[in-house]
Amino acid sequence: MEQQFQPLEQNIQLNKHTNLEIDLLLEAIYRLSGYDFRQYNRSSISRRIYNRMGINNIPTISRVQEKVIHDKEFLEQILNDFSINVTEMFRNPSFFKAFRETVIPVLREYPEIRIWHAGCATGEEVYSMAILLQEEGLIERSVIYATDMNEQVLEKAKKGAFPIHKMQAYTKNYMLAGGAHAFSEYYQTDYQYAYFHPTLLKNIIFAQHNLVTDHSFNEFHVVLCRNVLIYFSPKLQSQVHQLFYESLSDKGFLCLGDKETLRFEEVISKYKEISGNERIYQKMY
Amino acid sequence: MLNRLKLGIRSKISLGYIVIILCLLATVVILNNQITSLQKERNFIIKYDSNVLTLTNEIEKYILDMESSQRAFIITGKQSYLEPYDNAAENWKIDFNELYQQMKDKPAQQDKLKEIEETIEHWVATSGEPTIQYKKDNNVEALNDFFKVDNGRQDMEKMRKLFDSFRATENAYTQAKASQLDKQNSKLTSALFGILILVSTIAIAIASGISRSIVKTITEVTQTIQEIAATKGDFTRRIHVNTNDEVNELANATNTLLESVEKREWLQSNVAEIVTNYQGISAITKLAETFLSEVAQKTQASLGAFYVREVTENQVQFVKKAAFADTDDCVGMESFKIGQGLIGQCALEKRVLFYDNIPRDYRLIKTGLGEIRPQNILLIPVIFENEVIAVVEIATMAKFSKLQQELVRQVTETFGLTVNSVLGRMEIVRLLNESRAMTEELQVQSEELQTQSEELQMQTEELTMINEQLEERTKEAESKSRELEKAKKELEESAEQLILNSNYKSEFLANMSHELRTPLNSILILSEMLAENSQHNLTDEEAEFAKVIHSSGEDLLALINDILDLSKVEAGKLDIIFNEVNMSEVPVQIEHTFAPVARKKNLAFHISKADHVVDVFYTDEKRFQQILKNLLSNAFKFTEQGSVTLDINQLTPQQLTNNMQDISTDWLEITVSDTGIGIPKDKHQLIFESFQQADGATVRKYGGTGLGLSICKEFAKLLGGWITLQSTEGQGSSFTLTIPSLPNGIEEEHCQKLAMNEVAVTTVEEEQIKEQPVAMEETLQHEVEVFQGKNILIVDDDNRNIYALKTALEKRGMHILVAKDGLECLEVLQANPDIDLVLMDIMMPNMDGYEAMTIIRQQMKRIDLPIIALTAKAMKNDRDKSLQAGASDYISKPLNLDQLISVLRVWLVSKGS
Repeated sequence: MEQQFQPLEQNIQLNKHTNLEIDLLLEAIYRLSGYDFRQYNRSSISRRIYNRMGINNIPTISRVQEKVIHDKEFLEQILNDFSINVTEMFRNPSFFKAFRETVIPVLREYPEIRIWHAGCATGEEVYSMAILLQEEGLIERSVIYATDMNEQVLEKAKKGAFPIHKMQAYTKNYMLAGGAHAFSEYYQTDYQYAYFHPTLLKNIIFAQHNLVTDHSFNEFHVVLCRNVLIYFSPKLQSQVHQLFYESLSDKGFLCLGDKETLRFEEVISKYKEISGNERIYQKMY
Repeated sequence: MLNRLKLGIRSKISLGYIVIILCLLATVVILNNQITSLQKERNFIIKYDSNVLTLTNEIEKYILDMESSQRAFIITGKQSYLEPYDNAAENWKIDFNELYQQMKDKPAQQDKLKEIEETIEHWVATSGEPTIQYKKDNNVEALNDFFKVDNGRQDMEKMRKLFDSFRATENAYTQAKASQLDKQNSKLTSALFGILILVSTIAIAIASGISRSIVKTITEVTQTIQEIAATKGDFTRRIHVNTNDEVNELANATNTLLESVEKREWLQSNVAEIVTNYQGISAITKLAETFLSEVAQKTQASLGAFYVREVTENQVQFVKKAAFADTDDCVGMESFKIGQGLIGQCALEKRVLFYDNIPRDYRLIKTGLGEIRPQNILLIPVIFENEVIAVVEIATMAKFSKLQQELVRQVTETFGLTVNSVLGRMEIVRLLNESRAMTEELQVQSEELQTQSEELQMQTEELTMINEQLEERTKEAESKSRELEKAKKELEESAEQLILNSNYKSEFLANMSHELRTPLNSILILSEMLAENSQHNLTDEEAEFAKVIHSSGEDLLALINDILDLSKVEAGKLDIIFNEVNMSEVPVQIEHTFAPVARKKNLAFHISKADHVVDVFYTDEKRFQQILKNLLSNAFKFTEQGSVTLDINQLTPQQLTNNMQDISTDWLEITVSDTGIGIPKDKHQLIFESFQQADGATVRKYGGTGLGLSICKEFAKLLGGWITLQSTEGQGSSFTLTIPSLPNGIEEEHCQKLAMNEVAVTTVEEEQIKEQPVAMEETLQHEVEVFQGKNILIVDDDNRNIYALKTALEKRGMHILVAKDGLECLEVLQANPDIDLVLMDIMMPNMDGYEAMTIIRQQMKRIDLPIIALTAKAMKNDRDKSLQAGASDYISKPLNLDQLISVLRVWLVSKGS
């Protein structure tokens, strides 16, 4: 018994220390950069930290903290590590199909359409939305506000250049999402990238915005925030949901990622489920 | 107390009936008597009447029989005819006597009868017997005589008349008797009616009396019940009955019912209230609190605690979830185990425990004034599926009534389900949350993995690229190294040659300069002399010419000197002599030289020397001065207005790098700044090159050879230091000379190292600029690589299309195969399994594109082969159909070549890279 007990105790101690270390590291990062990861999903953050420790051969998290404080480049590196920018064009095509079928008819009635794409990363989904709106003839009266907290990825997004080897998958997604034209009408390629036509950019505004620390900046008819909240702690998720609720116009739509749900949020009572599987909700009150 | 005497409805009704029956009985008896006497009377009359009649008739008959028999005998003489006579003669007397007997009350009739008897006897005596005797005696005469008179006849007549009168009298008598009877009868009838009315009246009176007494109470009861029903559940009213009968019992029973209903109502409404209040609560703590406060409120409990079963590490214990107290917030122990204390006992025994006798050590209820021991304690287990899942304890300072206990019992009965469902729900919510967290976690991990794999992919890609490049480089390097070996030898040779040549050149230049200087000296001296015009034999104009010749000569000399210096440096022939330099003198000398220039150009000239600058500095004074002079004259040259400043400063040890410290401990930093035209950033490097100035315009405007700065740079290098430049175009420049104090001269290595560093710093930018064109070259290269050698199958029935596509694609290095229709396409594919991509037209003869694609995908199983469908524009149907058939992508006709190339790149690029 005692023998079994001992390591457990150590483990707890270890966990405590690790937690403390992570707390301190995140605090340091927050103070130095203004990026607040303190309420992020711990397991993910710690994996990212360990990942970085493995790459740079750093033995403890405290050392990471030291390096973060004294090495500006390393801080940038860590910040980059923390922001996971997995995305693809027409990600979960069925969502875009559902959006086309259920949300677009409502938007069609509006004289102007404001869409907030929160956590747009490198912009694949923003371009997808722009293509969708163009095909539906709504792009001229739409404005897509695409925000992310990471300015580097925003810069990438503004370029609208996506690796060419991913385009086969994107083409499939586009077609599954109910694309109305040939996908190739929207891009040109070189050996590395597919460059999307700058006309798509006309109604997209890219801006830096941090969901954790910043407030709402407009009232939107659609808020898309897909696979971003999964990185947040439940408390932070609720906070961000409140932000989205306040940012939505009456009868506005909230679109989440396929692994996310409003079901456990307090705000669920104020929404109507439009497409549960595709996580499309409409603000009712 | 007579009232209390029980007089039931049954007795009342029975009594009434008995009275009525008695009356009826009396009536019947009376009537019967009357009727019987009437009957008797009538019977008597009838019997008497008939008797009299019969007797009279008998007698008359006998007499007639006697007469007829007498006559028959007389006529016939036969003895046999006499028999009736004898018979009648014997019998009539009997009947007569009887009749007579009967008429004993009526002497008048008896008299009549006597007369009749006498008449009969008279007949017998006079008529009967004698005639018979006559006959017997055959006394015909007598007979005739007799019949001549026939007295007998008179007798008979008389007898008949007598009888008639008798009968009439008798009849009248009977008549009178009958009428008397009638009278009696009618009296009886009226008596009967009278009795009937009397009995009826009595019966009605009794019935109404009894019914009223019954109905009245029943109505009262009914009314009360109806009123209770009308008030919808005011069960506090009771029924009051004054009578002491079954209705009273009914009322009492109803009251008891009402009481129990009231209790049940209280129970039900309170249970319902409590149940309603804890409905919809989803957290166990909230549920426990609500439940406890509700129960406490209903039972006027002062203390309460709610424990819920929790299983941790195979240990079952009950943990406090809520507590309640009038005065204290924190009551009860935090947890207990089954069987531990009274409450544990309750959980163990699964039954309600009620305590009247509170143990001495029981917790006291605190009030504002003191502490009170509770009177009653109630421990109630909350049971679900025969298992105690929670225990509630409440205590009161008063007493728990049976009803309150019942309430608690009832409430807890159903509460188990709720607790269980809430616990279940919490568990479900927790599990759902967990599963959500896990789903999210999975997603996060998958995204992280994706990122990592992307990173890895990129790294792999990079490594592969580097590897490939390395390999290529190695090969190249191998071949190159051989070439290099050769070239090196050649180079070495030519280098030697070059050094030689360069030396020749420098030497030549040096010699040339020297040779040039000799005649130039003559020119200078002579022209100066001429310009002085000491003998005044020259015109002013000629003197001026001479001055121009002189100054031009001076310039030429300066130029030659510069070239000489430079070539000497390059030829390594410049002698550097490190010597003591008195730094305090330097400013004075400089001031002396440049103050006039400053005045001439109307510029401010500042010289400042820091206090800590060492007085004795070891360097080559001549070159040092030359550098300063060059820099300053440049500064003055390019400054039209403002100021020129010379700063002499010594570097502190902190400012020195290790390398610098290795060389010397004393370093001077001399800065020449001006407010002149400045130098554009991109020219900073250039102006230090030989024969270079910022641009052509500068040369035209300011003159000069452009050698000055390159000489400065070379000299600075020779002195073991360097020159740096900071300048903004239009705002001025600042040249900084940094040199060490070198008492022992300079060591080659150090010099070079330092120089290298400086070069490295300044050339970074250049490299960056160079990168872009390289990248573009690469693009072209990769372009070729993507398309190079790829086998493309064009399926189209239109030759012009094929031709156009073929040429366009072949130009990019692709290998083109052609099929004219679907069938041919399949054949070509079969024959060439290495085809990389198919461009498929849809409308074709024999077999169209859809069919071909379907066969390729489904029968040939070429799932991954990219097939680009060429569809007509704006035909959504075509597009959908071709996608269904298995096209990887589609592109509308007429084809846009750029678009086609883009699509080909997308589908030809290997997915993994």
